[in-house]
Amino acid sequence: MLQVEDLYAGYGASEVLTGTTLSVKKGTLVALIGANGAGKTTTMRAISGGLKPSKGKVVLDGKEVQGLDASRIARLGLAHSPEGRKVFGPLSVEDNLLLGAYSRLPRFFGFHAKAQADLDRVYDLFPKLKERHKQAAGTLSGGEQQMLAIGRALMARPKVMLLDEPSMGLAPVIVQEVFRTIRRLKEEGITLLLVEQFAKSALEVADYAYVMERGRIAVEGTPAELSRNERVIAAYLG
Amino acid sequence: MNPSIIGQMAVSGALMGLVYALIAYGFQLTYATSKSINFGQGELVMISAFFSLTLTNLGLPYWAMVPGGLLFGAVMGLVVERAGVRLALEQKSEGWILLTIIIGLFFFSTAENIWGRDDRPFPTPISADPIHIFGVDVTRLELAVAVGVLGIMGLIELFKRRTLLGKAFEAVSADRDAAELMGISATRTVMLSYGLSGAVAALAGILVSPITTVGPTMASAIILKAFSVAVVAGLDSGFGVVLIGMFLGALESLSSFYLGSGWREAPGLILLILALAVRPTGVFGKAVIRKV
Ligand SMILES: Nc1ncnc2c1ncn2[C@@H]1O[C@H](COP(=O)(O)OP(=O)(O)OP(=O)(O)O)[C@@H](O)[C@H]1O
Ligand SMILES: [Mg+2]
Repeated sequence: MLQVEDLYAGYGASEVLTGTTLSVKKGTLVALIGANGAGKTTTMRAISGGLKPSKGKVVLDGKEVQGLDASRIARLGLAHSPEGRKVFGPLSVEDNLLLGAYSRLPRFFGFHAKAQADLDRVYDLFPKLKERHKQAAGTLSGGEQQMLAIGRALMARPKVMLLDEPSMGLAPVIVQEVFRTIRRLKEEGITLLLVEQFAKSALEVADYAYVMERGRIAVEGTPAELSRNERVIAAYLG
Repeated sequence: MNPSIIGQMAVSGALMGLVYALIAYGFQLTYATSKSINFGQGELVMISAFFSLTLTNLGLPYWAMVPGGLLFGAVMGLVVERAGVRLALEQKSEGWILLTIIIGLFFFSTAENIWGRDDRPFPTPISADPIHIFGVDVTRLELAVAVGVLGIMGLIELFKRRTLLGKAFEAVSADRDAAELMGISATRTVMLSYGLSGAVAALAGILVSPITTVGPTMASAIILKAFSVAVVAGLDSGFGVVLIGMFLGALESLSSFYLGSGWREAPGLILLILALAVRPTGVFGKAVIRKV
């Protein structure tokens, strides 16, 4: 569903990604782990169009999308829940969710009715968001904002969803809740690429995983294989 | 001092101040989406007023001339965005400042060449006869200014809150990159904001022209005061520009009455200096709160 081939991207003169290759099959959950600064966020941004790759290919559902505007790639079925959540602070929780489905909804009237089924689904997944649907998103707690960021991405009914460090800065109980949510998304058959600091938990939920070091994939394999790899154990699972 | 004269002066000044508020509101619209404003907005007001005058002279009735003028203003706003703002913003440069000034100068000489340098009256079916409300006389023209300004601002605010496109406008204002991830085109949203800003400026020209007459320099003083209002009220509060605009309008009308018309521009400048010294984000501006 998503293939990244020999991708190069960076900021100004400094190249961060130097030939990243990975792929995510339909209906699977793929984890991308690696040390701070390895280039995981950069990979996600180069996939979703926030950064223009200088070389390489990004193929989404059979269509090459590298170099397109982020908004265009989103309309083609990629939902990216970015590092730091990036909810629209001044807007209400419900408005944030509605905007998640922006590309599928009428621009002026009737958008709410058309999105109702998706709203109900997200509210069912995150009852807290329903309780607070009128509240400004910026006033939610960190955990609630993360739920909102995931819910917003779900609203798009994406072909592929990118989740960048959903557990960042959250208390341990909330992190567990985040992982429960990720498991549920997986059970619903959503195709997911997940970046996580908590390598162990990520490997527990993933079907396949990549380990990134200095802008390249250093090791890849099933979680079982990686859990036996001594280098991976020493660096990320110790 | 006669209190009824003070009231009279304050009210008609405040109604004029709504024109400043409307132009300042136009600055807020583009600043929200792109952190840029059109420094040639005064010329946009002026050229739209001339265009509307031409429509009237061609025999168009008032109700058909107004949308025509607004459309012209919107198109000119889009021209400014395309020619003066977009490339500069793409390169993360401040070049739009100079470019929008230059486009303004270009509008100015175009207007001089087409319509000449003279000030011309702007005919309107709205009568200038005073009507008596709450102890002061206001003309229908002044009331039309209030209705027009508050009407269009209300409509735009309604658009931002009630339609999905409006919410997308707010999303781009809050976080451009995140909005793009939702499939919202930031470029188009910036275009929309420049179109709206141009339409709003054109309306300001149409509303004020019957009172001030139309000429190439008609907006040069108005625009300075619109800048003052925008800076004093902050670049994110529509409510703030209305209050500050009316306050400034009343103040300058009173000071020109009591101190002489040479002092007309003084309150705006003093207000601007005070505001910059005391609250650079504006009286109604919010400090941006970011959760990390
Ligand atoms: N906006 C930027 N401008 C310049 N350099 C950047 C920028 N963002 C990231 N970098 C650099 O790119 C490299 C990779 O960063 P990236 O954010 O992709 O790492 P990461 O794997 O996501 O790390 P973390 O686990 O800390 O989130 C780092 O060296 C970082 O300093
Ligand atoms: Mg990161």
